[in-house]
Amino acid sequence: MNVVQRLDQPSNYKDSQSRVDRRYQDDLLSNSTTLYIGNLSFYTTEEQIYELFSKCANPEDGGGIKRIIMGLDRNTRTPCGFCFVEYYTHAEALASMRYISGTKLDERIIRCDLDMGYKEGRQFGRGKSGGQVRDEHRQDYDPGRGGWGAQAQRLEIERRRQEVEERYVDAQDGPGAVAGGGEEWREVENSEGKLKRGRSPGDEGDNERTVGSFIVSPRCQRLR
Amino acid sequence: MSYHRPNRGGRRRFGDDYDDRRREIVESPQERLKNIIIKLGEVDPLQEIATVEQHIRDLVPPSISNLSESFHIGVTEQPYKIPFYAALLRLLHNTPPKEDTSDATEQVSLGRQILEEFWKGFQAYVDKLMWRETRLCIHFFAHLVSAQLISADSFVALLQSFTTVLDEFGVSHGRAKRAALCAAEGLMIAGSTLTASTPTIPSEIINAIQAYTETTNSGKWIVQPIVQLHSSSVYVEIADELLDTALAALKALENSGFEGPYPRPYSDYPQLDAETFTPFSLPSVLVPPEVIELDGLSTEAEESEMKKEEWPEFFLRLFPDDVTPDPNTPAGYAVRTDLLAMIDIFEVNRKECARLLLEYPKWTVPGTFKPKPGAPAPEIEPLVNYEWQLESTLLEIILAASLILPESSQPHIYYTALITEVSKLSPSTVGPAVGKSIRKLYSSLADGLDVEIERRFSEWFAIHMSNFNFAWVWKEWIPDLELAVQHPKRAFMRRAIEYETRVSYYDRIKKSLPEAMGEPGAHVLPQQPPGPDFMYEDPTKPHHDAAQSILNLFRGRAKAEDVIAHLDTLRNTLEAEISDSGQPDNVNSLVRVIATQSLLHIGARSFSHLLNAIERYLPLLRTLASGGVTSAASTGNPEAKTDILSATASFWKYNSQMVAIVFDKLMQYQIVDPADVVSWTFSHVSETGIDEPEADLKAPLSLSTFEWNLLKAALNKAIGRVNIARRKLALLRKEDDENRARVRHMDVDGEPKPAESVPENPALNVALKAFSSLTREQKSALSRTLEGFISCLAPSITSAHPNPQAKEILTEHSWHNRVNWGKEEWSAWETWGWYRHFCRVYSPYLRNYAATFATVSFARFEGQSDPAIELLQKIWNVSTGQE
Repeated sequence: MNVVQRLDQPSNYKDSQSRVDRRYQDDLLSNSTTLYIGNLSFYTTEEQIYELFSKCANPEDGGGIKRIIMGLDRNTRTPCGFCFVEYYTHAEALASMRYISGTKLDERIIRCDLDMGYKEGRQFGRGKSGGQVRDEHRQDYDPGRGGWGAQAQRLEIERRRQEVEERYVDAQDGPGAVAGGGEEWREVENSEGKLKRGRSPGDEGDNERTVGSFIVSPRCQRLR
Repeated sequence: MSYHRPNRGGRRRFGDDYDDRRREIVESPQERLKNIIIKLGEVDPLQEIATVEQHIRDLVPPSISNLSESFHIGVTEQPYKIPFYAALLRLLHNTPPKEDTSDATEQVSLGRQILEEFWKGFQAYVDKLMWRETRLCIHFFAHLVSAQLISADSFVALLQSFTTVLDEFGVSHGRAKRAALCAAEGLMIAGSTLTASTPTIPSEIINAIQAYTETTNSGKWIVQPIVQLHSSSVYVEIADELLDTALAALKALENSGFEGPYPRPYSDYPQLDAETFTPFSLPSVLVPPEVIELDGLSTEAEESEMKKEEWPEFFLRLFPDDVTPDPNTPAGYAVRTDLLAMIDIFEVNRKECARLLLEYPKWTVPGTFKPKPGAPAPEIEPLVNYEWQLESTLLEIILAASLILPESSQPHIYYTALITEVSKLSPSTVGPAVGKSIRKLYSSLADGLDVEIERRFSEWFAIHMSNFNFAWVWKEWIPDLELAVQHPKRAFMRRAIEYETRVSYYDRIKKSLPEAMGEPGAHVLPQQPPGPDFMYEDPTKPHHDAAQSILNLFRGRAKAEDVIAHLDTLRNTLEAEISDSGQPDNVNSLVRVIATQSLLHIGARSFSHLLNAIERYLPLLRTLASGGVTSAASTGNPEAKTDILSATASFWKYNSQMVAIVFDKLMQYQIVDPADVVSWTFSHVSETGIDEPEADLKAPLSLSTFEWNLLKAALNKAIGRVNIARRKLALLRKEDDENRARVRHMDVDGEPKPAESVPENPALNVALKAFSSLTREQKSALSRTLEGFISCLAPSITSAHPNPQAKEILTEHSWHNRVNWGKEEWSAWETWGWYRHFCRVYSPYLRNYAATFATVSFARFEGQSDPAIELLQKIWNVSTGQE
């Protein structure tokens, strides 16, 4: 195609904190099954996202939505306006770039970008106040994203978040905190031991996360 | 390990910008010329032809390959410019006066050199069976014939090589259709020149296509957009079949002496000197056979990629002929052909596609479309006076392409997104066209609009509305609330609102509706948001305590084994309780339902919570699915899996989306198999309503869109797994072959090693085994679906809830009396619709098993004469290519 630009090319957006080199990034992107979705309303649910993105799913080709990882405010554990959608196939991710990116979800125009793949910890916002960096600098009033920029109107934000604030209070980080969504089909073995998926023994029960009672800096929060 | 570093701010961005700047390449003169050629006519096509010609001549020495490539891009990516590229090439055939003409090569015009090079590219398209490019090049050649640059005889021969395809033995519809369009459209454009030299060519091509289309009647019957159960004729009022329209347009052109509807900018240019100029004679071509069709001869036919069946294509008409072009007329056919090609080509960028579609009128003969309101009077006198409405034309064609049965050529969401873009570019003019299209489709619902079209229509409606503030005038449909509750119009309203709610939320959608639609009796909007329904929530409900004890374990993140152990204890307790109360409850089943519902309860907060709950307790789910509370068999127990599915359906009975999601993940994690979901769907169609008040609305043994979606998801899961396994196997086979070749190659002594010395690849064996077991599973899912439909539509006397209407509605009299149909009649009608769709959409898979399935499912009816059985069989036979 020479006459127009394809819409399913990766944009300039890169995971700014990823340390892999550019060529390797391009390589990952050209096989990527994961999308970063931006400009979501804080109130948009995973099921709304699922419904829209399932329009690009192609189960007949072995595809489908593998999982959705909601971006959360690191401090409040509430959605902060982005998510990752992971499909089973690369073609589905490309289709979303062509047909969904730039259309509305929950009455906001959302943006999709090919992503190198979810890495532990990326579900949390990186802004100083816990949300996304862009909301730190925002000057406008955006009712879908907690009103004024994070520096102002904190009370107003709290009130509007009531609807969603309960949902992710149990969100965890660390290995195994985010479910995989189900792998490819494989022959079922008879022995029970083999049935169990590879979860490390520490995963269950003992990594309950207690949110710190005081926060020195965002950095400390993550390092603890 | 932390990625968080302070002061990252804008620094990284700077790096990105730098990278982008570095990648910007300086355009070479050849590149620049190519872009000039590609952009031909963006401001004023007629004026720019000579300018571009000059640019081409100015760049010396000419690069013929670059010029030919530029023409290729122009022709195959911008079909609306083809007449103008023909004119440009015509100008390049002029030999500019030169002082020194002694050099013989100078005599060959630039245009001729480009054409000869262009031909090679065309030949490559044909060899690779790139049909769209081939067809668009034929358009170009046809204009060049009219411009006297190509010899008419050689073009006739080219068209004949495409009509030959129609006579091939067992030609697939897709191949025949594409070849027929190449011949037909070439003739349409160049007809008047061709008839001068070969007067018989029009009738030759028309007869060839006609003879072919006469063989496609049963195919038309199964994919026509209006369902007529009582008749085997094709109903043509509301839609036109593609090849039929090409034939109609050709016949009209033949009668008018091929007065074509095409712009011909080259026709004003002076004639080339017949003394010195010889038109290019196109070399002869042979259309190669399809690769897949050759593959069928290979021994591992089952392992080769499944080829989608192609059927006749019906395009719905939504507007009268004076508003949008009738594709049965030459001008209408030409417009639709261009627009369809654009929709197809620019699929990679819907925004640009929308812009180009709205600019389309400038490439047509003046007067084709109504000028924009308020636009200055056209400088050129209109040559025709069709004055079609552009926006309505675009809507009609995009929607028609999106509603083709059994499947549209692009994903349905593409067309949805394209309409959104067209609407965004010109809301005031496109809006009314969208509204009229919706009303027309809606009104067709009462006349038998196909169930799959209705499903796509409701999906499009919901997504479109979600992009435009959910602004629809619902109140105009209030009178239709009087119709039977399963009437397609009411079913559409319910579904459209359900789908709107999924991408938005209950209160938002409720606000967009008039009060009458929110009434309980209206059955349009559910009475409450689509939340979960945990059976044991209420402390007064039986087994509340049992459920709480399980929930406490889940909340405390107990290990799966501990929960399993607890269920064993619980079962004993419940057994005692039940035997005391004397209820004939199945205690194993009860434990499964309580455990499943409790697990779903902790996973009910979001999709991710569901996945976490399932993943954490996979061993528990597997134990439940295996039937015993203690772990035993691995394949599971059908009854136990049915319990899990039933518990899910009742937990999410107010939320059909979640039912589908949970079923999908239960299949993904291999708790249940696709065939289990199929069986469950057919055995529970009469039990689970999407919404409780509607449970009693459901007719016995009938399928609605909800059930169809569950079936489709299960069948596609089974098919998808086979496809993955097939690809894996192909890859391993290739590796294996390479390894063997290498071993043989390394054997330098010349003594070929015996084959056994190459070790068997264990991965290959595993893959083979997986492939065959998945293929078996796919077959079982398909066969159970067929069985399920038969039990709904031709129920045996002993079946539990036979729908008495399944047979009654098949008469013409009953159909014409449909205003009096009640919910049972409409439910039966819809079930027939889904059966018809199942057969045609899964036809490539069903064909593989046609003989076995026919024996298993239809043999029992041998000798019975019953209209329902006959129709079941007829739909089956047509879909599997036996009729």
